[in-house]
Amino acid sequence: MTAPTAAAASRRFAARLPRLETLAAWLLAIVWIFPLLYAVWAAFHPSEFMVRFDLLAPLTLANFLDAWEQAPFARYYLNTFLLVTGIVAGQFVVCTLAGFAFARFPIPGKDFLFMLVLLQLFVFPEVLIVENYRIASALGLVDTITGIGLPYVASAFGIFLLRQTFKTIPRELEDAARIEGCGWMAVLLKVYVPLAKPTYLAYGLVSISHHWNNFLWPLVVTNSVESRPLTVGLGIFSAPETGVNWATISAATLLSIAPLLVAFLLFQRQFVQSFLRAGIR
Amino acid sequence: MSAFLPRTLGGLAAAGLLVAGQTTAQQEPVELTMYYPVAVGGALTEVIDGLVADFEADHPDIAVEAIYAGNYDDTRVRAMSAVEAGDAPQLSVMFSIDLYELLEQDVIVAFDEVVESDEEREWLDSFYPALMENGTLDGKTYGIPFQRSTIVFYWNKEAFAAAGLDPDTPPETWEEMAEMGATIREAGEGDRWGVMVPSTGYPYWMFQAFAFQNGHRLMSEDGTEVYFNDPAAVEALEYWVSLAAEHDAMPDGAIEWGTLRQNFIEGATAMMWHSTGNLTAVKNEADFDFGVAMLPMKTQRGSPTGGGNFYLFKDATPEERRAAMTFIRWMTAPERAATWSIETGYMGVSPAAYETQALQEYVEEFPPAAVARDQLEHATAELATYQGGRVRRALDNAVQAALTGQMSPQEALDQAQAEADAALRRYAR
Repeated sequence: MTAPTAAAASRRFAARLPRLETLAAWLLAIVWIFPLLYAVWAAFHPSEFMVRFDLLAPLTLANFLDAWEQAPFARYYLNTFLLVTGIVAGQFVVCTLAGFAFARFPIPGKDFLFMLVLLQLFVFPEVLIVENYRIASALGLVDTITGIGLPYVASAFGIFLLRQTFKTIPRELEDAARIEGCGWMAVLLKVYVPLAKPTYLAYGLVSISHHWNNFLWPLVVTNSVESRPLTVGLGIFSAPETGVNWATISAATLLSIAPLLVAFLLFQRQFVQSFLRAGIR
Repeated sequence: MSAFLPRTLGGLAAAGLLVAGQTTAQQEPVELTMYYPVAVGGALTEVIDGLVADFEADHPDIAVEAIYAGNYDDTRVRAMSAVEAGDAPQLSVMFSIDLYELLEQDVIVAFDEVVESDEEREWLDSFYPALMENGTLDGKTYGIPFQRSTIVFYWNKEAFAAAGLDPDTPPETWEEMAEMGATIREAGEGDRWGVMVPSTGYPYWMFQAFAFQNGHRLMSEDGTEVYFNDPAAVEALEYWVSLAAEHDAMPDGAIEWGTLRQNFIEGATAMMWHSTGNLTAVKNEADFDFGVAMLPMKTQRGSPTGGGNFYLFKDATPEERRAAMTFIRWMTAPERAATWSIETGYMGVSPAAYETQALQEYVEEFPPAAVARDQLEHATAELATYQGGRVRRALDNAVQAALTGQMSPQEALDQAQAEADAALRRYAR
């Protein structure tokens, strides 16, 4: 008597389970997106409505104007764009070559060298600020966009990721290319790189969003508007001593993240797929 | 370095043009680098750039590169990195409480070593003594006050009237503040609270005010000892906790530093304790009549000072040090201090600043601007010790633990004292 009831109950429970999951997913999504929604709300309304929710509150663009006038955003956009494209391009070249060497070249002590590269992942980047500054200063790169990007070009994460991807590509493809008369470089460019496209896309995305948001190192190594990226420009809107003007800072924040946000919405599907394929979670 | 070159050439060319009409040949200008933080909102970088340009016009023999370096913590990181790289600035504006760390790292030099004439020595004594407390150690002056603030009491006159209180009389004592807060809460217009004292951001700063009003200073003069669990300090924390727990005048739990001004402007609280740095913003944003007064007292008036000082760095030639001091003297001269105060809401740093016409007119038109000055007489140094970060964090945690009810004030402060003692053990003199 009790057993069938229990079974039925557990079936009912099982049927309800996916709905619970959906609910949890919604809950997490709302919690996660709330700050962004708030920023949008605050950016488009006069400052009287910062902590008062009123659907009929008047919309305004004054906050954006205010933010735009307080900082040279056009210059900051250009700097951030140059910085991020420069870093990602540099990372692709360096990490491809290094990852390929670690995956396929017969180098003595290769595993040990690879461990050394991976050690980089355990070091918190902020710890290296003083040392990096010393090097940048010695190279005359303080206050240049190159100086901001250089420490990130030899990325251990990128090397690791590409090595793993290259290792999964069957040797037979490489052998076939060799029979066709390809050298190392041609094998890399014609066989390995095209097959690793999802990894490049996923890694590029992670790298772009990380460097778009990076703050402390760019602040430390730059002096002038000519080389400072968006995040550092955004810094002058923060006011630790008095509490910020939420309307202006929300508008400035939206201005800073808008290109990334638009890109994400446009390429959402490709991003998600490449993440799944490359196995980065 | 190449990035500096065009600017240097430009500077030289400009200097060359300036002296072209003069008979004496001018030397190459002394180049100075200065880092500065921005801790209040607004386009302060432009104000600083404007001041620097004015200075360079007055002193063609000195070129100053002023570099915005984030908040106080970022600025410290920036300056220390530059020093390590052998690229040290000649001067910087940094947190007044960074003094001990800068001394420990041996990167700054006392102004006493750079002054030469009696007039310059007099200049060192021309500031409000309360503002010098965080900049002096063992009789030497290391910090010259620049962007300085203190805590003041803001109240909403309309809310007072609505609760049947006299809108022009702020509370004089702790008891009065608690009673008035409770009255306003009971009158219950909307969900208005009586009083809010922020407990995130800088809890130690607010707690210092309570403790000092109870006649207690939390640290020794030389920054090697703290007295967190003294009975007077415990009593101060008990009072702060009681505002919520007993009097129902303040909301339970933590009160956000960053949103408190907004709460006050929205009328969510009738009274608040906050930095003078907020004065201009409250003035611009509040659509009700408000007043500013000194903080209430227990046994005496009191508030800690806060903000940033000018420091001179060690790694500079005597010529550069002199030039840096010339710049600092210019920046802190009464007229500039007055302009700076009006534009930012920071205090005028010397009595002479308040005697300038500009600031006198401003105070006349907007009397709250004088409250911070009058309260300076009762001010004390901001909590600064060796290992400052750890010591302040210990106190911050204790204050928050007590306010959220996790610990009794006595337990919380005992624990903070133990942590601070451990951090300070090797500095005992």
